Amino acid sequence: MAAGLDNLKHIVVLMMENRSFDHMLGSLKAVNPAIDGYIDSDPFTNPDANNNPVKPQALAEFQGQLNPDPDHHFPAVDVQIYNGQTGKGRVANMQGFVTSYFHQREDVAHSQKIMYYFKQSDLPVLTTLAVQFAVFNKWFASIPGPTICNRAFAHYGTSFGRVDMDPFDVIEPIKSIYTRLVTASPPRQAKVYYYDTSSSTMEVANLLQHQTEVFGTYPQFLSDCDKGLLPDYSFVEPNYSDHDTDDGEEVANDQHPDHDVQAGEQLIAEVYTHIKNGPEWASTALLIVYDEHGAIFDHVVPPACQPDRFPSSQVDPGTGQPFQFDRLGVRVPAILISPWIPKGTVVDRVFDHASIPATISKFFLGGYSDASPREANADVFIEPNNGQGNMANNLLSLDVMRDDCPDFKMS
Amino acid sequence: MDPIVVPRPKSVRDPNRPASSLLLAQVKHLREAEKNLPPQYHSGIFSHAIQTEDEAAEYVRAVTDAIHRAHDDAPAERVRRVRSRKRKHGIEIAAVADEAAEREDKKEE
Repeated sequence: MAAGLDNLKHIVVLMMENRSFDHMLGSLKAVNPAIDGYIDSDPFTNPDANNNPVKPQALAEFQGQLNPDPDHHFPAVDVQIYNGQTGKGRVANMQGFVTSYFHQREDVAHSQKIMYYFKQSDLPVLTTLAVQFAVFNKWFASIPGPTICNRAFAHYGTSFGRVDMDPFDVIEPIKSIYTRLVTASPPRQAKVYYYDTSSSTMEVANLLQHQTEVFGTYPQFLSDCDKGLLPDYSFVEPNYSDHDTDDGEEVANDQHPDHDVQAGEQLIAEVYTHIKNGPEWASTALLIVYDEHGAIFDHVVPPACQPDRFPSSQVDPGTGQPFQFDRLGVRVPAILISPWIPKGTVVDRVFDHASIPATISKFFLGGYSDASPREANADVFIEPNNGQGNMANNLLSLDVMRDDCPDFKMS
Repeated sequence: MDPIVVPRPKSVRDPNRPASSLLLAQVKHLREAEKNLPPQYHSGIFSHAIQTEDEAAEYVRAVTDAIHRAHDDAPAERVRRVRSRKRKHGIEIAAVADEAAEREDKKEE
């Protein structure tokens, strides 16, 4: 019996920006030792420019601390993971976060701020959802690099060889998850909801230009939640910028440094609340995930993975070597929410953003034969309910829907 | 369980915040998209000079709106082009017919 999967009709993904697992959720290890975060007695440190050990500290601030934006392009992330080791046989040690940030301002005291994390009480929304539903101990960015190539994995299951922010071309026969769904027989519904047209989408080159019909706005998303009109699959993008609107002004809520983390907390609470209070709560699962770590510390070494079909060029990674897409990026926060998930679930299997199209394709379409090697090998966070799923991994495992799920109230 | 209070952010909009590398990359993607639009949909904004989030957002909005408008207008534009082609083709047929009639008239003379 899989009542949760039997009821599931809608999957929503909200992808935030540039924060690592330890930075946002590490404090939860003190609440639940099964959560692979950080407590004061842990030995993890990073050396600073004077070779003094820097411990993580619960001193993260909502805004004004990580300025300049910590470098999270491929060469910098390589330093963060390997601390300057090069050549074959190097060992990932997560010792280079302070070194990498020091390179930007050459200020020893400032470079130590990259090791700051939030207290549980600082982030009442994210930490509550993490302890109330399922938190992933090993969800990694798809690439040790920046936003756009990582987001590409969420849409296509690959970045087609890109490790940077440049536009990329889709290489046939791979199709976006949206195209797969809307062209299926029978067709499925899929939408990318961007915040508004001033924030728009990060998926410009291939989707917005050619398939405007799969886009909606955040107010439409909230309305669809309220009216019970959610598509089968929704991907929600936060507001990436401070900007004027016809009705006033908007503050960025993507949590990208140096944007206000509390504005992102409000966004997450609003998305959750509209789903929970809408008519489709019983039939919806919400994944909250971050695209990459934004150069902020994390203590877990990213694992090796199946190489992708498209290696990078020799030049693009900036390390002198082409990247084979055979290692995941740094760990990010990821939480799966549904009233069918037992409170306090902690997931120890390895995931990355290729798990998103893999899960959606398997759940709604029964699979996708043209998936990239990375997607084909990615684990799913919701088991397909067609007899092919591994019910031992089913996270929506309750026989009866919970009635004790948390509520949020905006102050 | 009592509702959990979500604190109100203290931040206010900062119109002068420098655009991040992410926003500048988004601008670059939209610049490429804008090149593919018919000229009447171009924003007229010099996107290479964008420095602040505010400026980036203005450009992002202009091009995003234009992409949607261009797609919305495409069916009507397609019909207009077909009609225009038919009309032109019709005029050409009529012109050929007129020339043939003129030749017949000359023969009779």
